[in-house]
Amino acid sequence: MPINVTMPRLSDTMEQGTVVKWHVKVGDKVTSGQVIADIETDKATMEQAVFDDGLIARLVCPEGKQVKVGEVIAVLAEEGESVDAAASAPSASPAPRAAAPAAVAPASSAAPTREIVADVKATEVRDADRVRVSPVARRMASEMGVDLSQVKGSGPGGRVIKRDIALAAENRSSAAPVARASAPAQGIVAAGPASVSAAPSAGALVQGVQSVEVPVSNMRGVIAKRLVESKQSIPHYQVSMKFSMDALMALRTQLNEQLSSMEVKLSVNDFIIRACALAMAKHPFFNASWAGDRILLHQQVNVGVAIALPEEKGGGLVVGVVRDAHLKSLRQISGEVRALGEKARTKGLSVEEMSGATFTISNLGMFGVDNFTAIINPPNSAILACGAAIEQPVVRNHQLAVGWEMAATLSLDHRVIDGAMAAKYLQGLKQFVETPTMLLV
Amino acid sequence: MTALREIEFRDALREAMSEEMRRDKRVFLLGEEVAQYNGAYKVSRGMLEEFGERRIIDTPISESGFAGLAIGAAMMGLKPIVEFMSWSFSLVAADPILNNAPKMLYMSGGQFGCPVVFRGNDGAGGQLGSTHSWCVEGLYSNVPGVKIAIPSNPYDAKGLLKSAIRGDDPVFFLESERMLGNKGHVPEEEYVIPFGQAKVLREGTDCTVASWGRPVHFCMEAAEELAKHGISCEVIDLRTVRPLDIGTVVRSVKKTSTCVVVDQSWSFGSPGSELASQVHRHCFDDLDNYVHRVHTADVPTPYATNLEQEYLPNTRKIVEAIRSATYNL
Amino acid sequence: MTSLSNPASGPAAAPVKDVHAKVYGDLDHLQAPPVKVDVPAETQLRWLRDMLLIREFEIRCMQAYQEKKIGGFCHVYIGQEAVAVGCTQAVRHEDPIVTAYRDHGHALARGMAAKHCMAEMFGRIGGCAKGKGGSMHMFDKANNLYGGHGIVGAQTPLGAGLAFACKYMDEVIDGKKNSRVALCFLGDGALNQGAFHEALNLAGLFDIPVIYVVENNGYSMGTAIARGTTMAHSLVTKAAGYGIDGYVVDGMDVLEVQAEMKRIADKCRETSRPAFVDMRTYRFKGHSMSDPRKYRTKEEEEVFEADDPIGKLERHLKASGALSEDAFKAMLKSVRDEVRDAVAWSDASPAPGMDELFTDVFVERWGPYTGSTQPEMNGGTPNLPGTLTIDTKEELL
Repeated sequence: MPINVTMPRLSDTMEQGTVVKWHVKVGDKVTSGQVIADIETDKATMEQAVFDDGLIARLVCPEGKQVKVGEVIAVLAEEGESVDAAASAPSASPAPRAAAPAAVAPASSAAPTREIVADVKATEVRDADRVRVSPVARRMASEMGVDLSQVKGSGPGGRVIKRDIALAAENRSSAAPVARASAPAQGIVAAGPASVSAAPSAGALVQGVQSVEVPVSNMRGVIAKRLVESKQSIPHYQVSMKFSMDALMALRTQLNEQLSSMEVKLSVNDFIIRACALAMAKHPFFNASWAGDRILLHQQVNVGVAIALPEEKGGGLVVGVVRDAHLKSLRQISGEVRALGEKARTKGLSVEEMSGATFTISNLGMFGVDNFTAIINPPNSAILACGAAIEQPVVRNHQLAVGWEMAATLSLDHRVIDGAMAAKYLQGLKQFVETPTMLLV
Repeated sequence: MTALREIEFRDALREAMSEEMRRDKRVFLLGEEVAQYNGAYKVSRGMLEEFGERRIIDTPISESGFAGLAIGAAMMGLKPIVEFMSWSFSLVAADPILNNAPKMLYMSGGQFGCPVVFRGNDGAGGQLGSTHSWCVEGLYSNVPGVKIAIPSNPYDAKGLLKSAIRGDDPVFFLESERMLGNKGHVPEEEYVIPFGQAKVLREGTDCTVASWGRPVHFCMEAAEELAKHGISCEVIDLRTVRPLDIGTVVRSVKKTSTCVVVDQSWSFGSPGSELASQVHRHCFDDLDNYVHRVHTADVPTPYATNLEQEYLPNTRKIVEAIRSATYNL
Repeated sequence: MTSLSNPASGPAAAPVKDVHAKVYGDLDHLQAPPVKVDVPAETQLRWLRDMLLIREFEIRCMQAYQEKKIGGFCHVYIGQEAVAVGCTQAVRHEDPIVTAYRDHGHALARGMAAKHCMAEMFGRIGGCAKGKGGSMHMFDKANNLYGGHGIVGAQTPLGAGLAFACKYMDEVIDGKKNSRVALCFLGDGALNQGAFHEALNLAGLFDIPVIYVVENNGYSMGTAIARGTTMAHSLVTKAAGYGIDGYVVDGMDVLEVQAEMKRIADKCRETSRPAFVDMRTYRFKGHSMSDPRKYRTKEEEEVFEADDPIGKLERHLKASGALSEDAFKAMLKSVRDEVRDAVAWSDASPAPGMDELFTDVFVERWGPYTGSTQPEMNGGTPNLPGTLTIDTKEELL
């Protein structure tokens, strides 16, 4: 069987890479571990070694061409296998579900396009990374700001057709509208040179109004790209619940007073992080990812926390990750969150500190916001948006009283989580929040 | 309130000719069996009695001769109507009808027009075999300078034929033996239908189905059938293929994003291929699928009933094409 | 060698009979009685000038063709001038005429100005068809010339149609007897086309007053008549088969042509019956400009050149005292001047504008097809009386 060598994922954020140079040619014998190519990622140029012994049957990806991670870049003939046979065998690599829209891959056009595929017609190769889109679907996607690379085509050969775009748009609009200001809750990773979807919404430019251009920073580009992808590809919906915060506020005051000498200062958010993490035990789908044909239930609860960056530093936001939050005490969580926040605002977080979130919390309570919705941080299946704990008139035991309340809104991936599941999770969360001593155990 | 008057397709044709002959002495009819025999298909029944042998003229079987004669007469300012018993027979008159009639005005620098109407049965009549089942629109629509009408119903047939006779340019008027007995509403009062105006027979949102002549009926059946499955078709009867009302089809396709063209001529270089090409051109960014086409099979017309049925565009083929075009297979 | 200034001095007696027999297959026309000339001298002088004009015109066409001012095909009429002049002078101006592709002579004989004919050859806007017809397609509505038709035999049913229309107008429309006849010229090559036979059959059957004039120059392109048709020695038998009277006329003598054709046309008017004329003539040049004439001998050509219709009439008029040498020279000069002016005028005439490419496709408002959705290009609504608008059309795209 021919062996496919695919474009490796060499960084957390790498989605596509470029073979800068091939060190082998068709017919060369290679051994496992031998460097066969230099590959440029979004961060660096790296040597890439093969994992198998064999003969180079085809070099599918020409030098200078940018291809998606996972795409076949070369084919090896195994020991005893004819190079010709291997070269002509159909590529075993799954066709990319959808390639990046044409506008995103400018590098390839400028790069040398010398065809180095042995005995294979060039069109066959190009065909593989072509996104098939009907003309009207392409136009609609452009007008509606739908990212074609995120749409699965239902037409022949995976062609994206009109109804696929309509469906994508419908899914997007069925979710509650999100105020732009409420968006800073997303998992934002290190700022490499971001390729930003070049699909602006129609009508983005206001006729007859003077505007000042603000250049888009790498971070802003990544935020834009990630959030557009999220909103376009994930069928969002929201479920809200109000929690009584009387007990939690009392406990927090008590603990902070008692532990002040140890420099412990628990925030409401620390309690929420812990509550969310603990609730996962009974509700594993909230700590999960949609993977196309299956759902991955993560065996570790890494809670991402949205951190707004100071405006004087250019603003933006990142998501710091509290790993294994379900195994950590309130005190540990509190310490980690504070450290992440400080580092984010000063030195910046490492890739490690920003990756791996399985669930995310965005809290705008400290800004006095009482309620909002957030956009899911892919590949999470849910995000919790917390407002402020507010002292207000409440009804307790049929009596009007004054009490602390907090509203929380889950944004959910409907592919993974249904409404009733969301309600149950919120009930579980409510139990922890309203009986906060459980969080101490 | 009286019931709507319904007459046969052949009666509509005769009414058109007779009315125009009454209003214009320059108009006359010639062809094989049009006079004493009352028309091989009874289209001209009774016309000899009314107009006499000077104006209703039996010709020998001599298409090249009488087609050319009519063209000469038209150059002198008369307005002949030439009946081809079948358009299949017009092939032996190809030189006069293709080389003379459509080119005379141009070649003479605008001096001599050719106001002649050639009409007759076109398409498979039913087991007539290869030589008698021509759909000449595939060939003739290629030629500039002619107008071609292919009506699908008595109302259009009358209005378009009157328009053809009144006009100053050569017209090929293509009827169908299979439809001559079809009845339809034709009002008593006079009307003409201009060329180049398609008619939307049925409005829909999912697929534009464009056709002309007899297959229009199959398109309507297909639309009816698919409506039961939630596919909404907009059926357009082009009525004339030269001029071709591309605008009406384009407007529809911009709405539906899909288009099926049904043409009973062969597919290669046909009015259907031209329309499909124009839809691709004008609706490029509106199309959700390539324009599907239903034509007769690319073989000579077979004799056997079952083969002939499969050869022609039919409701099943149109349904399949619409399903495919709308991704509803 | 054909020339205007030195028409052959007289027939070469001995071989004529044999040569004619070889070309036409019989000697009928040579045995015909001498033509009784009762045409006024000034009329004969006019005919002479008409023939000279055609010849000079054709010579200048050959020159212009070689100078590439004329494109495509070019078939000159040199040698056959007496046919066009004699025939057109035998009928009325309102009698329609239609002919084949060797048509410059007929156009000029019918009255088309040399400059309009030459400009058409040049493909200029000043041409009779604005440069859109070309050498083979001379049309002149004012002079009742219904073309110039390029396909051999195609004009024969049209000729029947022209005559049919003449008769129809008398009988159905006007109610008065104009009794026009149509002249339909054809070459001997057209005798073998189906259209010719269908046309003769219809003309005979329908009593159509059309005169088919076969300009029998002995060759359809390079094929001698006897190699291309049956009964070549007696073409009139073809007409007899359709019940049509046939005549043999010496096409090299304009006086005989005119006299015979007048007689035939008068009978045709009177009886409303078609006629068929085997008009014996000879083209001195090749079929077209590229014809090396290998299919016939130099001797044969010389015999016919000696029988030049122009020289014949010139000698006759000089002999009768109606034409002096000086007068003839003046006539030659005036013809040369006229043709030279026609060439200069045609040179000066602009090429047709690009708008001409798209006009004259339809009489009505439809322009040529462009695939546009614009109504003016693709099906506007003609202003027909009684138009019932049945569609509420949105504004076109």
